[in-house]
Amino acid sequence: MSTTPVIEVERLNLSYGDFHAVQNLSFQVRPGELYALLGTNGAGKTSTLETIEGHRTPTSGTVRVFGHGPDDRRTVRPRMGVMLQESGFSPDLTVRESVDLIGRLTRRTDDVDRVLDLVGLSDRAGRKVAQLSGGEKRRLDFATAAYGTPELLFLDEPTTGLDIQSRDALWATVDRLREDGATIVLTTHYLEEAQQRADRIGLMHQGTLHREGTVSELTRTLPAVIRFSLPASVPALPLQAVVDRDGKALVETFTMQKDLHLLLGWAQDHAVELRDLEAGPTRLDDVFRAIGSAPSHAN
Amino acid sequence: MLSIASSELIQIFRNRLVLITSFIIPVAVSALFVRQHETFAAIGSLGYIAAIVMFTVAAFGLYATAVTTLASRRQNLFLKRLRSTAAADSTILAGLLLPPTAIAVVQVAAILTALAMVAGEPDNVPLLVVAVLATLAMMIGLGLATAGLTNSPEHAQVTTLPVTLGVIAVASWVGISGTEDLTLLKRLLPGGSATELTVNAWNGGIAVTDSLLLLAPTLGWVVVAVVLATRLFRWEPRR
Repeated sequence: MSTTPVIEVERLNLSYGDFHAVQNLSFQVRPGELYALLGTNGAGKTSTLETIEGHRTPTSGTVRVFGHGPDDRRTVRPRMGVMLQESGFSPDLTVRESVDLIGRLTRRTDDVDRVLDLVGLSDRAGRKVAQLSGGEKRRLDFATAAYGTPELLFLDEPTTGLDIQSRDALWATVDRLREDGATIVLTTHYLEEAQQRADRIGLMHQGTLHREGTVSELTRTLPAVIRFSLPASVPALPLQAVVDRDGKALVETFTMQKDLHLLLGWAQDHAVELRDLEAGPTRLDDVFRAIGSAPSHAN
Repeated sequence: MLSIASSELIQIFRNRLVLITSFIIPVAVSALFVRQHETFAAIGSLGYIAAIVMFTVAAFGLYATAVTTLASRRQNLFLKRLRSTAAADSTILAGLLLPPTAIAVVQVAAILTALAMVAGEPDNVPLLVVAVLATLAMMIGLGLATAGLTNSPEHAQVTTLPVTLGVIAVASWVGISGTEDLTLLKRLLPGGSATELTVNAWNGGIAVTDSLLLLAPTLGWVVVAVVLATRLFRWEPRR
């Protein structure tokens, strides 16, 4: 497989009047990768994504998609599928007509019935878009993006408003596209989706790339957490913990396996029941919460 | 372009309000003029009737529909959706404007044919065709420019008024009073020279070369409208 980046962003700047939405942003997305562009509200994710998609013109800097400018629609668009954050379908057209029209305009070829089946909208094919629920509109949006199996897929908050079955079905379809070598660019507010699926994550904050790396690279810098509740009178704990008035204890550790072993051994020896015990790796949520407080590690 | 156009045509026919206000009403008004042609010919001339029905369709049919459609497709992000595909901007606009334009052409042709059948044929049909096409081009250009200033289909009811009422007023003024007085002003106003050209083509009696010069101001307005449109037109709603 070629190692030439599918997307190259170099020193991208975007300003709206006085507001500098994106500042000197550089990153690359490699072939076959699932790259999650995450960030706080107003971090510049959508501005960045829409520039790569060709909806906005950079104030300065360069963006290349498959080695071409994003405004070269004839060359670039047949190879990419776009799922916008807001739907943008005509309420007076039916589901089938919408998929057929947008699909045809991508210049890819596919079978409308196959695509409708893929997103579970076959029984809604003859309905007007105006009559669809929010989740069904998201699935219609995904249908037009996945039409013709593009090499590159933009998913802008794809699962917002979807029930769990639709969510699983959408990811199953994305996984199938990835098996065929598709590259995915994802933004989402469901961090566990990014944590489970992203090969790499770009974490934006105030218009710049605050952190970038694999999930474990991002979470490694923060401690993992062990939580449990203690009964009233117990011997001294074998490790450092914060225990509140109700007996709820919290241990922050960079050596989870060792500390957990120590704690469980101690509980066994003293016949202490650790109620509501949970231990897990650092979650992306915690990386997000640390954004405001920690100094930037970017570049 | 044709796939966009055919989907646009479906949407027009599914939206009864647009269908009635933009296509039925202009035809009804025009039918009244044709039916009462003797009365209106006495006020102006048969050429004046031809001009006023042409502008009724071009303003209330084509122009108002174009502005309303573009504002509506922008507001619900349909334009942005179309721009996410491989279609070029010019293809998208052409596809969206083709159905109302085609409908306007058919309407004008039908009404003028009806007028010719009840009141006698026009003097110079090719010249009349040129006048109609130039007028429709001007109204499409003005529609694109106005769409840039229009935030929603409801807003279009206000933003289209200056042009629709303006061109009807100019067409009536020029069609009834002629261009002997205030010649330059009347010809330079949008729709003024197009009205005079239509009147000449229908009534005859003016050298074709003199009439063709009247195309210049109309085409000038096309250029002005297109320049305005490139500056004003927006593809996405203002945030």
